[in-house]
Amino acid sequence: MPAFLSPLFLIGVAAAAIPIAIHLFYRRTEPVIDFAAMRYLRGAPVEHSRRRRLRELVLLALRVTALVLLALAFARPYFSDAVAAGSGPATMVLIDTSASLSAPGRFEEARERARRAIQDAPATHAVGLAAFAQAADVIAPVSQDRAGALAALAQVKPGAGATRYRAALQGAAGAFHGRSGRIVVVTDLQQSGWDAASDGGIPEAIGVEVEDVGAPEANLAVMSLRVEGADAVAVIQSFSSRPATDQVIFAVDARRMGAVPVTLGPGASAEARVPLDGVASGAVSATITDGGGYAADNVRYAVLDAADAVSLMAVTATGHPSEALYLERALAVAEGTRGFRFRSVSGTSFSALAPEALQQVGVIAVLGTRGIAQRGRERLAEFVRGGGGLLVAAGPDVDPAILKEALGRVVQTSWALRPAAASGATLSFAPDDSRHPVFRVFGGAGTLGNVGFSRAVRIIIPPAGASVIARYSDGSPALVEERTTGGRVMVFGSDLNYRWNDFPLQPAFVPFIHETVRYLASPRTSRTEYLVGEIPGVPGVVNIAGGGRTLSGPPGEPDKARPTSRPVAINVDPRESDPTRMAAETFQAGISRLNAAAAQDAETDAQQQEDRQFLWWYGLLIMVVSLAAEGVIGRRLG
Amino acid sequence: MNAQAAGRPGELRFLDPAVLARLGTLELKARAVVEGLLSGLHRSPYKGFSVEFAEYRQYLPGDDLSTIDWKVYARTDRHYVKKFEEETNVDCHLLLDVSGSMGYGSRGVTKLEYGGLLASSLAFLMNRQRDAVGLTTFDDAIVTMLPPSARPSHLRSILVTLDQTTLGHRTDVSKPLHLMADGIGKRGLVVLISDLLDEPDRVVDGLRHFRFRGSEVIVFHLLDPAELTFPFERAARFRDIELGDEVMAVPSVVRQEYLDALQAAVERYKRELGSEGIDYRLIDTSTPLEFALISYLSTRGRRR
Repeated sequence: MPAFLSPLFLIGVAAAAIPIAIHLFYRRTEPVIDFAAMRYLRGAPVEHSRRRRLRELVLLALRVTALVLLALAFARPYFSDAVAAGSGPATMVLIDTSASLSAPGRFEEARERARRAIQDAPATHAVGLAAFAQAADVIAPVSQDRAGALAALAQVKPGAGATRYRAALQGAAGAFHGRSGRIVVVTDLQQSGWDAASDGGIPEAIGVEVEDVGAPEANLAVMSLRVEGADAVAVIQSFSSRPATDQVIFAVDARRMGAVPVTLGPGASAEARVPLDGVASGAVSATITDGGGYAADNVRYAVLDAADAVSLMAVTATGHPSEALYLERALAVAEGTRGFRFRSVSGTSFSALAPEALQQVGVIAVLGTRGIAQRGRERLAEFVRGGGGLLVAAGPDVDPAILKEALGRVVQTSWALRPAAASGATLSFAPDDSRHPVFRVFGGAGTLGNVGFSRAVRIIIPPAGASVIARYSDGSPALVEERTTGGRVMVFGSDLNYRWNDFPLQPAFVPFIHETVRYLASPRTSRTEYLVGEIPGVPGVVNIAGGGRTLSGPPGEPDKARPTSRPVAINVDPRESDPTRMAAETFQAGISRLNAAAAQDAETDAQQQEDRQFLWWYGLLIMVVSLAAEGVIGRRLG
Repeated sequence: MNAQAAGRPGELRFLDPAVLARLGTLELKARAVVEGLLSGLHRSPYKGFSVEFAEYRQYLPGDDLSTIDWKVYARTDRHYVKKFEEETNVDCHLLLDVSGSMGYGSRGVTKLEYGGLLASSLAFLMNRQRDAVGLTTFDDAIVTMLPPSARPSHLRSILVTLDQTTLGHRTDVSKPLHLMADGIGKRGLVVLISDLLDEPDRVVDGLRHFRFRGSEVIVFHLLDPAELTFPFERAARFRDIELGDEVMAVPSVVRQEYLDALQAAVERYKRELGSEGIDYRLIDTSTPLEFALISYLSTRGRRR
C-alpha cells in the first residue's frame, strides 16, 4: 500500500497546475500570420497545428509529470507493509500464558473465561485466539471457525515467560489485518506487565476488554542463584502478608548437593547457601516447593562453566570494511577462546537489527553515527543498560549530539571538537592510571608514548561516575571510562582508523584494542544467565552457540560436535514473581498511552521502510528523464 | 500630388504603389500612372506606332528631329512635328485573378489592389492607343467578363468593374483560362494578372490554350515582397489566407526551403512559358506600376 513519509510535501503537487494554466491561458503565444503562398511553405519542415497540439500535450504531460514527481520525491514515498483492511469486525481472545498463570487453578480459570469469550463473541464477528507472555502467539487466526478456536484453546498451557502487555496487544492487533473489532484479554492483571518497553500499539478501531482471572494471595520465589567462592547462594523472596516457611534444594546436574530450610516474614527475603564441594562445571539449581504460589518461579538455575570468545560489533558510517579496517585486523590477531568475533555494520543496518541480534554481542564500537535512526539509538541505550560494553572512538564520523541523544540517560561523558593542532605540533598520550586493566599489559607508558595525534577532541567529563584513564600530552583526557548501571563505556578522544593519529600503525595498538575490548566485554561475557524470552527456551540450562542455540545433547553425545557452544541458564524473570495486581482501569489507561507511542513507532517503521525502498531516488530519476525529454521536444517546437 | 522617388536623380520618377493606392478613383490612379509614364518617355521608341496622322505640334526641345516636318518649316519658317495615332487593330483581354490569395499584402497594398491598378493602367493605355480592351475577372470560375471595345466609354465600364471587384474564392487558374480561350474569337493580346498560386502544369496548360488560338500572351506574376523574401523572424502559425488551415513554422528553419521552392516555381514558369512564346514577368508588388507597363510596352514593341 503506497504511503508517504512527509505527506505535507504533496501540497507541491499543486504546482502541476502551473504548466496546465500556462497551457490553457497562454497557449497562443505564437502570432498567427495570414499568408498566401502556403503551397511553397508546405514543402518546408513545418508542423501542422494538429500535430503541434499533440506535441504540446505531450510536453504538458512531461512538465506536469516532472513537477508531480518532484513533489512525490520530497514526500518520500514508500510501500507500506500494512495489509489492506479486511472485511467485517473480529474478536481476538488474548489469553495470558505467562509464569504468573502457573499458580494452581489460575490457568483453568483463564481457559474457561477464554472459552466463554469465544462462544459469546457477537455473531457478526470473526474470532481468533492468541496466547501471550512476552509477545502474542496467534494460535487460531481470525476466522469464522469458532470450533477451531476452541480446539486450539484446549491445547494452550501456561509457560514461564514474563508478562508484556504492550507487545502482546500489538501482536494481537496485527492479526486483525485492518479489521475493526475488540480484543478480549484474559489475564491476572499483573502490575509488572506494564513495566517493559514496547515496540508498538494497537489501532483506534480496536477496543480492548479485560477478563480478570484473579491471582494467588501469596507467592514464594527463588529470586536469584549465584556462585560465591565455593558456595551456591539462592535468594528466596516472599510475596505474602503472612510468614512462610519452605526448603531450598540445591543440585548440580541432577546431583543433590543439599537442602536448606528457610523461614520468611511477610514480604521478606532470605538467602540459602550450600557448598559445591569443589564442583567447577555443570549446572546448579535451587528449588523450593511453594504449593500455593506460581510454580514457574520455584526453581532457578546457574552455570559454572567458563565464558566464550568476545564478540564485537563495529558501527560505522556506511558499513564498508575499510571504515573499521584497523580494528578488525587488530582483533583478528587473537585466536582460540581468547579470540574475538568481529562484525561491522552501518548505522542504518544497526538501526534495523532486532534486539536478539545484540544478545551475543559483548562490545559495540561506535566509529560512525551516520544513519543511526531513533530505533538504533534506543537499541544502543538498551545494550548498555543490559550490560553491554561500549567503545566510542570520537573520530570525524561520530557526532556527539547523536550519541548524547541516544545515551543521554545512561552515559554523561561527552566531547567537543577542538581545532586541529598547529603545524608540526602533535599530541601523544599516556596512561593516567597504569594499574587499569587496559594498561596493565603495558607496564607503564611503554610504546604508547610513540603514538602521535594530529587531531583530538576535548572530552567533557561528568562530575561523577567517570574517570580519566589516559591523558594527552597537554593534560587533557584522552581515554575516559564511565561506569553505568549496566555495561562499561569508554570514550577515546580520537579515531581508531588512522585518520587523526598513527595509533593503528604503532605496536601498542593491538594489545590496547585487545585489552580494551576484553575489559568492556567482561560483564557480558561472564553472563551465563538469561531470562525466559531473551533467548528461546524454557527454564533450565541450554547450550548457545554463535547467533543461535543448541540444546544440550542427550547423554553420551560428544561435546566436540558443538565446539563453539557454551551453557547458559534460562530463568523466570524475577519481576514476574510479584503477584501485585492493578485495576482494570489502570490497564485501560495504559492502552491509551500505548496508542500515542504506537504513532511514534509507526513513524519510525515508515522511515525505515522508506530508507530501504529508496523510491524517492527513482522518482527524481524519472523526473530528470522527463525534463530531458521535455527539453528535446520543446526545442523541436521552437 | 505626393510622389515618391523610386530611383536615383535623373531617372524616371514613379509612384509608389502604396501611395498610389491612396489616391482617389481608379481612373485618376490609372491616369496618373499612364500620363506620368508617357510624359517621361521622351525618347520613347513606342511613340507613333500608328501610321494615321493626328496633328501638328510646335517643336519642343527634346522632340525627335526625325519627326520635324521640314515642308511646313519651309513654308512657315517654324518647326513643327507630326503626331500620328496608332491603329486599333488588336483586341486586348485583361484577365485578373481575384481569388482569395490575391487579398494578401504586407506593405499596405494587396496583390488584388496592385493587379487592379495594373489592369486599369493597361486599359487606360490601350484605350488611349485605340486598342480594343476587355476585362475578365476570375477565381475558380469566371466572375465578370467585359468583351473588348475601343470606345472611350468602355474604359469607364472597365474601371468601374475593377473598382467594384471583391475577393473571390480559392485559386483555380486553369478552368477559367480554358473557358476564356474558347470564348475569344479573334486573335488578340491576352494579359494575365495573377499570383499563379496553382499547379504550374495546369496554369501553363491553360495559357497554352490561348497560344493555340493564336493570341499573344503576357503573364504578370504578382508576388508580395513578403512572399518573395519570407522576412518573418519569430516562430508563428501561418494561416492559409484561402483555406484557413494553419501550419507552425520557425522562419529561420524553413526560410531557405521556402525560397528554394518559390524560386523553382518561378524558374519553371519562366522556362515553360518561354518555350510557349509567352511573355512572363515576375512583379514585386512593392515596385512601381510603371515597370510593369514598360514591360508591356516593350512586349508590344517587339510584337510589331
